[in-house]
Amino acid sequence: MKKAMIVIHGMHCASCASNIERSLKKIPGVRSASVSLIMKKGSVEFDESNSAGVTEDEIRNAVKRAGYEAKSITFS
Amino acid sequence: MEMKNNKDMHEHSNSSDMMHENHSKRAEHNKHEHDEHAEHDHSSPVEDEEISMWKKKLFWAWLFGVPVLILMFIARVFGIEVVSDTFVIILFLILGFPVVFVFGWSTIKGGFRGLFTFYFNMDSLIALGTTIAYLTGVGALLGVVQDYSGVAAAIMAIFVTGKYIESVARGRATREIMKLLELGAKKARILRNMGGKNEVEVEVDISEVQIGDIILVRPGEKIPTDGIVVRGESAVDESMVTGESMPIDKRKGSNVIGATINQDGILYVEANKIGSDTFLAHIIKLVEEAQSTKIPIQKLADKVTSYFVPAVLVLSVLTFLGWMVFNGDLSKALTSAIAVLVIACPCALGLAVPIALTVGSGMGAKKGILIRKGEAIQTMKEVRILVFDKTGTITKGKPEVVSVHSLVKEIYMLEIAASIEKLSEHPLSRAIVNKASQDGVKRFKEVKNFKVLRGRGVEGTIGKNKVIIGNTSLMNERRISVMEVENKVEEFEKLGYTTIVVSENSKVLGIIGIADALKDDSVEAINLLNSGGYRTVMITGDNERTARAIANAVGIKEVLANVLPEEKAKKVEELQKLGEGLVAFVGDGINDAPALKQANVGIAMGTGTDIAIEAGDIVLARGSLLGAVQAINLSKATFKKIRQNLFWAFAYNTLAIPLAVAGLLHPIIAEAAMALSSISVITNANLLRRKRI
Repeated sequence: MKKAMIVIHGMHCASCASNIERSLKKIPGVRSASVSLIMKKGSVEFDESNSAGVTEDEIRNAVKRAGYEAKSITFS
Repeated sequence: MEMKNNKDMHEHSNSSDMMHENHSKRAEHNKHEHDEHAEHDHSSPVEDEEISMWKKKLFWAWLFGVPVLILMFIARVFGIEVVSDTFVIILFLILGFPVVFVFGWSTIKGGFRGLFTFYFNMDSLIALGTTIAYLTGVGALLGVVQDYSGVAAAIMAIFVTGKYIESVARGRATREIMKLLELGAKKARILRNMGGKNEVEVEVDISEVQIGDIILVRPGEKIPTDGIVVRGESAVDESMVTGESMPIDKRKGSNVIGATINQDGILYVEANKIGSDTFLAHIIKLVEEAQSTKIPIQKLADKVTSYFVPAVLVLSVLTFLGWMVFNGDLSKALTSAIAVLVIACPCALGLAVPIALTVGSGMGAKKGILIRKGEAIQTMKEVRILVFDKTGTITKGKPEVVSVHSLVKEIYMLEIAASIEKLSEHPLSRAIVNKASQDGVKRFKEVKNFKVLRGRGVEGTIGKNKVIIGNTSLMNERRISVMEVENKVEEFEKLGYTTIVVSENSKVLGIIGIADALKDDSVEAINLLNSGGYRTVMITGDNERTARAIANAVGIKEVLANVLPEEKAKKVEELQKLGEGLVAFVGDGINDAPALKQANVGIAMGTGTDIAIEAGDIVLARGSLLGAVQAINLSKATFKKIRQNLFWAFAYNTLAIPLAVAGLLHPIIAEAAMALSSISVITNANLLRRKRI
């Protein structure tokens, strides 16, 4: 299980946060995603066993698809 | 002479080059950590940036919006036709355009993109509402519909205002957490050895400090990172990290925490943790992680929120059609549909839980109460039984030998006991070894076949003698008679001493009484909890009598004695099965991690600079039992706010939507009410601060 923290710009309402969550959960391999509107941060948990893994680009695109911008992504 | 100088200079420049290289390597090495910090440093400006952005939009939107409102007011109330209708409509369209499509552009853009990509958001509602309203102006010029273009500008101006107030209030809600993020020192003054005894003070960026560096901390300065005092004496204010209000005395060998403030003396600190390994970094990580965990009650709100926007879109269309079919007035149908769009924003609903959680955990962090799992806040209100570990939780966890009763020469018994106990890491063993050293035992005997008998004692062979040291049940188990010391054992235990029997070749040599002093505020804390109606239970490996004596001293009525460390979790489970309510466990997280996990709420006590992060749902940075009481109060107060917020947000929407559908809400009033609902939820959360924890 790996984790990524995302700093997100452009969110300003609760449905923004749930939209991003929905978009992040669509990435193959993602187990859970949660976005905090207040901290302007999101975290994604995903399977490491997935051969492809989850890449920074996938996350960035998922955030973009929902209409927002991923400022920085840190894997841990 | 000149040549020598030259050579010196050459050497000098060489060495400084080397230093420089070292430097840049260091910088490179620490770059990663530095980046992480940089991210934290940005947090607050982002918030400020947002506030100033909305503020700017607010100013410009009203600059154009106010004339629109005045014109509408005159037309509506006085019905005076100052100028022709057509002229007014054109004026509305001209004044309204910048408000809606320039200052509100980000909302319009985001909203329509959401509509087209099926990621509906709150902006979609506002974008649709204002655009339709604006277009009625064009329609009116063509004579199709009554003009509502002024409404568009008014809605957008109010929306922007709401956003501005919301961002300010939100900044307040996150204040404590942001402060925590910025707590770390930026610079450190380290001593660099320039060869021989020549030491130079160099001020470096915090990211360049390495483990082993000696840091100089002057009075009034922030200690840059975690370390150990190597020289100097002072008192240190640790309140910002642990919530402990009294300054702590530090001398050679004391641990210090980064970001705490040195009070009155100069300290030389050897850095032993840097970057993301420090105490402060751990606390920050924990608080941040907690912000992104969801508490169960939030899941409901989230679900509602995610279906809300599409549902409102549908409802708005139905409202329009309904009015068209049953009334046929296009203008009335449009305004009602617009009112539905703007009133039904789920924003208050979505903010209700996280905003209260943020204020609550921020307040906690300030007092050294770290809510690691938001869920604990919801669970806490069901907790009826509180189980406390004894050692390190109720007591200081620093046992000392307070009484010795020996049947042989006391020093002989201590020597035998200490020689064996020296091989054990157990705190009780250390107490015995300390006592022996104090009493003059200098050399310890060689021990063979040493064995720890978990939860009972130790054994080993000294020379040809078999030595067994431990509690009375171990002696019974090994069929060693304790007849001779039985009365004394009882006396010790009634005093609350943990009593250790020392035996040699199955014969008792004597007993050692060890006491662990109560923490200063344990009695007060237990009293508060007892009067709060909780069932308080103490759990310990001590025997019944000793445990009872300590429980009485602290005010706990129930005792679970003779519990081996690995059985603690099982005992918690048994209490849970009673069905009397949920169980919280308070422990230091060192050997009771399973019990902390088993409990419905695990409260882990910090001990010194170590912090049992993984163990508890709530972690106390300071090892005080009053902290546990505060954590319980804070959780309950926060959850109450969450419930209030959810109630208001739900109530508001369920009341306002029918009004809008029925055409009883003017779109401008609807928008103002919507903005107010979000603001009131945040303000209510901020009121949590008034509560004394």
